[in-house]
Amino acid sequence: MSIIRFVNVNKWFKQLHVLKNVSLEIAQGEVVVVCGPSGSGKSTLIRTVNQLEPISDGEIWVIDQNVADHRTDINALRADVGFVFQHFNLYPHLSVLDNITLAPIKVRKQSREAAEQKAVQLLERVGLAHKKDAFPSQLSGGQQQRVAIARGLAMEPKIMLFDEPTSALDPEMIGEVLQVMKDLALSGITMMVVTHEMGFAREVAHRVVFLDHGEVLEQATPAEFFSAPKTDRAKQFLKQILSPMH
Amino acid sequence: MQKRLAFLVAAVSASFIGHAQANELTGTLKKIKDSGSITVGHRESSIPFSYLDDAQKPIGYAMDLCWKVVDAVKKELKLPNLAVKLNPVTSQTRIPLITNGTVDIECGSTTNSKERQKQVAFGVSTYVTSVRMLTKADSGVKTLDDLNGKAVVTTTGTTSDRYIKQNEKGHNIDVKNVYGKDHAESFLMVESGRAVAFVMDDVLLAGLIANSKSPKDFMIAGPALSVEPYGIMIRKDDPQFKKLVDDTLIGLMKSGEVEKIYNKWFTQPIPPKNINLNLPMSPQLKEAIKNPNDNGV
Amino acid sequence: MSQYQWDWLVIFENVTDTDEFYYQWLISGLGWTLLIALSAWVIALILGTIIGTARTLPNKFVAGIATAYVELFRNIPLIVQLFMWFFVLPEMVPTNIGNWMKQDMPHPGIITSIIGLGLFTAARVAEQIRTGILALPRGQKNAGLALGLTLAQTYRHVLLPMAFRVVIPPLTSEFMSIFKNSAVAYSITATELFFQMKQITGDYKPANQIEVVTIVGLIYILVAFSANRIMTFIERRVQVPGYISGGK
Repeated sequence: MSIIRFVNVNKWFKQLHVLKNVSLEIAQGEVVVVCGPSGSGKSTLIRTVNQLEPISDGEIWVIDQNVADHRTDINALRADVGFVFQHFNLYPHLSVLDNITLAPIKVRKQSREAAEQKAVQLLERVGLAHKKDAFPSQLSGGQQQRVAIARGLAMEPKIMLFDEPTSALDPEMIGEVLQVMKDLALSGITMMVVTHEMGFAREVAHRVVFLDHGEVLEQATPAEFFSAPKTDRAKQFLKQILSPMH
Repeated sequence: MQKRLAFLVAAVSASFIGHAQANELTGTLKKIKDSGSITVGHRESSIPFSYLDDAQKPIGYAMDLCWKVVDAVKKELKLPNLAVKLNPVTSQTRIPLITNGTVDIECGSTTNSKERQKQVAFGVSTYVTSVRMLTKADSGVKTLDDLNGKAVVTTTGTTSDRYIKQNEKGHNIDVKNVYGKDHAESFLMVESGRAVAFVMDDVLLAGLIANSKSPKDFMIAGPALSVEPYGIMIRKDDPQFKKLVDDTLIGLMKSGEVEKIYNKWFTQPIPPKNINLNLPMSPQLKEAIKNPNDNGV
Repeated sequence: MSQYQWDWLVIFENVTDTDEFYYQWLISGLGWTLLIALSAWVIALILGTIIGTARTLPNKFVAGIATAYVELFRNIPLIVQLFMWFFVLPEMVPTNIGNWMKQDMPHPGIITSIIGLGLFTAARVAEQIRTGILALPRGQKNAGLALGLTLAQTYRHVLLPMAFRVVIPPLTSEFMSIFKNSAVAYSITATELFFQMKQITGDYKPANQIEVVTIVGLIYILVAFSANRIMTFIERRVQVPGYISGGK
């Protein structure tokens, strides 16, 4: 039973065909890493799941609802789908605690006490309980991203989407964020992760999806994908991404 | 004996003044002589006293009188080719421009008031205005009592509202004072029904009516709420120039020439629209011409 | 040559033939100036925020109307706008409403000035707010929407609070301007500070205009400076710790 299902999805930016007939299924509890060269359309793909990017045609079923159908209550759906951005996108004017509790209070109509209690638990989980009163600009990039993950989790989502969560981080901070993501992956939540962190993919992903020029070229277990990529473009990509320079 | 003495004093003082002028100019006349020019301050839209015609040249009743003064200056200083500079003034700038020496003589429609006499001097009064009411011809307003509970407009910067306030107590009436930013806007308030009457100098009211789309729809009503003399404005403490201005004006009054100039501007069609103000000389003005004086109010 | 008789205490003199003093006129004028400017500012902030927000909405029709509003109200001189509200509007509406506006409306000049100045300044505030929203990182809007907030909630809780902080400096100058601009209200019978200055320096106290004009000028400076201080105080109060405005 798949929780996310792309059916013949196409997207154009004016003349540019950025997603070409994408069909893809992600099962409940599955951890899927989407990779591909820059410009391959992977960020666009993950944004179509909660309609931050509308699609041109095709269908995307998320938790049994077609997100491309305008009758779908997209706000309610988004509440069930956590999203972690490359640039964190914390709300700069709110404290860490308020960043996490805003949506639970406004969307889930939770009481402030309940929301804050939950937020503190989540902060403990990402190792930042002592920063609950800090403001985003007082945190390092790695800390901000961990708060962003906690913010997503506060909505108790059924799916977590990660759009290059470590690309904007200084190298020494990547580890702390990946560690939180690994712990999360082991908790059994469905995760779709766009990333270049092949170590993460190898370690916790159930499946790797390789995207290039808007097309899904390969889907395989990490073991298969890394040891025996089928397409030349995947081979080329892996060669570049795994070279010592990276 | 007394007559003789008076004659003697007059003769001596005349010769003294003549002597002084011939040898020792002071004040404005000295400045004019030294600079070879006289600067005349004029208004731009003070009809029919001092305003610009189609060629942007100042014309009007006060201007005609001033040209006579300028002629007298040329004659007095024996400078037939004296340069005459024109400098526009407004009601806000006219006093500072006189006191700081930019303008030597202001030819407009300036009330000779005691307040102003602290800063400047005036030639003998050349016009007397009365403050009255302009209303629509069908408004039914004839007296102050008809204004009770109504809005009455006056123009910002004038003292006309004061006369209404003073009359309110005596007449047991309550008037809403409103203020137009200029005379045209005050007139518009009456025309559009925002105010029932416009209280202002009669000559200005006559000009507004004459210039309106249908002059017969308006009339000047009610009693004179105040009477004010207008005068040509010069610097104070300048007896030589003051005497020359007064002598010139008094001469025009005695010869009857003032009346001719008056009629040219007040009872005949005037530029630019060839409108006739239809404002014959008031008894107060006739009195001021008969007994020239520079008393302020 | 100058023989101007200076008298700086002129405003403490008695108004001829009355029991009033000129300084009382100035105080009364200042009161109306503050009332007009502050009331108009409330209108300008609320309406300007709505219009400025509307210009950034995805709905082209709504954004178009908001843009039209801004262009219309920003490009017609304030004095012309006030004239139209005061003299033209009553002639356009049904006669009984027009007559009510002309004859029975309380303080017609003041109320019309507040509305007219408010609508004019709203267009200017709208532009600041729009700029502030557009200056925020694009991800901010997505960060709100991705968590299930509606577009309205995203504006209310995420975008506008930051946009306001970003535009406080330009808003400060609008706030200072509104006091200066309120002087135009004199042209439609409001007896505010500039009117009182014109009144006093006209035929009432014609001999010491320079002093009166200078004193009124100083009062305007004082008011504008106070407005500046108030905004700076607010800016400090809402400052986000560690956040450098204009940064990412």
